[in-house]
Amino acid sequence: MENDKRRLSDGLIRQNVVLMSGVAIAPVAACATNFEKSLALGMGFTVIAFLGVLVCRFVPKKIIYTIRVIIYALIAGLSYIPARLLIDAVFGEDVTASLGLYLPVLAVNPLILAKTETRFCLRPPHLMMVELLGYIVGFDVVCVFVGTLRDVLVNGRVGWMNLSAGFFVPAFETTFGGLIITGALAGMCRAFYNRSKRKKAEKAEREKRRREFIEEVI
Amino acid sequence: MLANFVSAALLAVFLQNSIFERALGINILLYAARKRSSVIGFALGLCYITTLSSIAVWALDGAFGNHERYAVISPVLYILVIGVIYISSLIAVWRFFHNLFRKIKKFAHLAVFNCAVLGALFIGSRSGADIWGYLGYGFGTGLGFLAAGYLLYVAHTRLNSELVPSVFRGMPIMVIYIGILSLALHAFVGYSASA
Repeated sequence: MENDKRRLSDGLIRQNVVLMSGVAIAPVAACATNFEKSLALGMGFTVIAFLGVLVCRFVPKKIIYTIRVIIYALIAGLSYIPARLLIDAVFGEDVTASLGLYLPVLAVNPLILAKTETRFCLRPPHLMMVELLGYIVGFDVVCVFVGTLRDVLVNGRVGWMNLSAGFFVPAFETTFGGLIITGALAGMCRAFYNRSKRKKAEKAEREKRRREFIEEVI
Repeated sequence: MLANFVSAALLAVFLQNSIFERALGINILLYAARKRSSVIGFALGLCYITTLSSIAVWALDGAFGNHERYAVISPVLYILVIGVIYISSLIAVWRFFHNLFRKIKKFAHLAVFNCAVLGALFIGSRSGADIWGYLGYGFGTGLGFLAAGYLLYVAHTRLNSELVPSVFRGMPIMVIYIGILSLALHAFVGYSASA
């Protein structure tokens, strides 16, 4: 159980695909400009990555990697079809159109093309699912957070809820605004992660000293 | 003909640079910007694949573009095009340039299967241009990547130095740096915050 929790948090924080490794930064920085779009983008990523990795697992290892990577990309491309139809049905075609090319380019994200090979395929199925879930939720959380933040800063609202913020920064709707926000969040995420790691190490050290002291006394 | 090619290429290099304008291919650029040879290698690979793929994409768009569900299946078709060109090119390199093959075999797929290549094909396709426009956009995307890569490469050492707080060193500061360069490019082409 503890191991599963660690594996889940791996993709969620330690190896977050947006803030830590930066391999899926483009859709978040350029396209997650409001709450609704970020939700749709998250849904697209979830379907494409989940179906893509799941099916890619069954690609025989006998095939050389040069060919396998093409098959992975094609499978991810096929996973785009249900993702697109689902987003059309849930959010409407206007939202899908507003995502532009950032929805189809999710099909060539390194989570499917590289991590399937170097990580997911090396694990037993249930561990693979836990890890994959961590990575997907990691992307979705960051995507929705950035989208919500930009919605507040640019439009003074979250989705349909007006916050009457009183100040607006339209520049954060642009790509450069998204890049600056994402870069700053990446730095803060690392600071938070390093701090929690340091605290854990200090706690373990204190515990060790306490045990040593008790042993000495006894 | 030539004018269409040149104007599409210039558009892809400056006004619609895949890195600065659309943030496409940033993950590859962050990886490539460590060495000058990597920047050049990746840019050449990207330029080659986007230019050649754009011819096939132009043909596909012409043949099936009016189909009702073309937008839904086009990513698979584009990936198939990229895959066919990638594998045939690799076979040709393996057959005739053994030394080059040994150098590129580990990294070739990174330069080919990324969102900068697929994104460039989509943008070229949506521009509704003729074949020279498609070719120019594909070629210009590679040049734009080279320009962006060089700008990141020259700043790489400084951005990873002790001058930068440790939590921002590496990817975060490089993304912010790309954002600031993107802001400068927006100002250059006439962005207005009130617009």
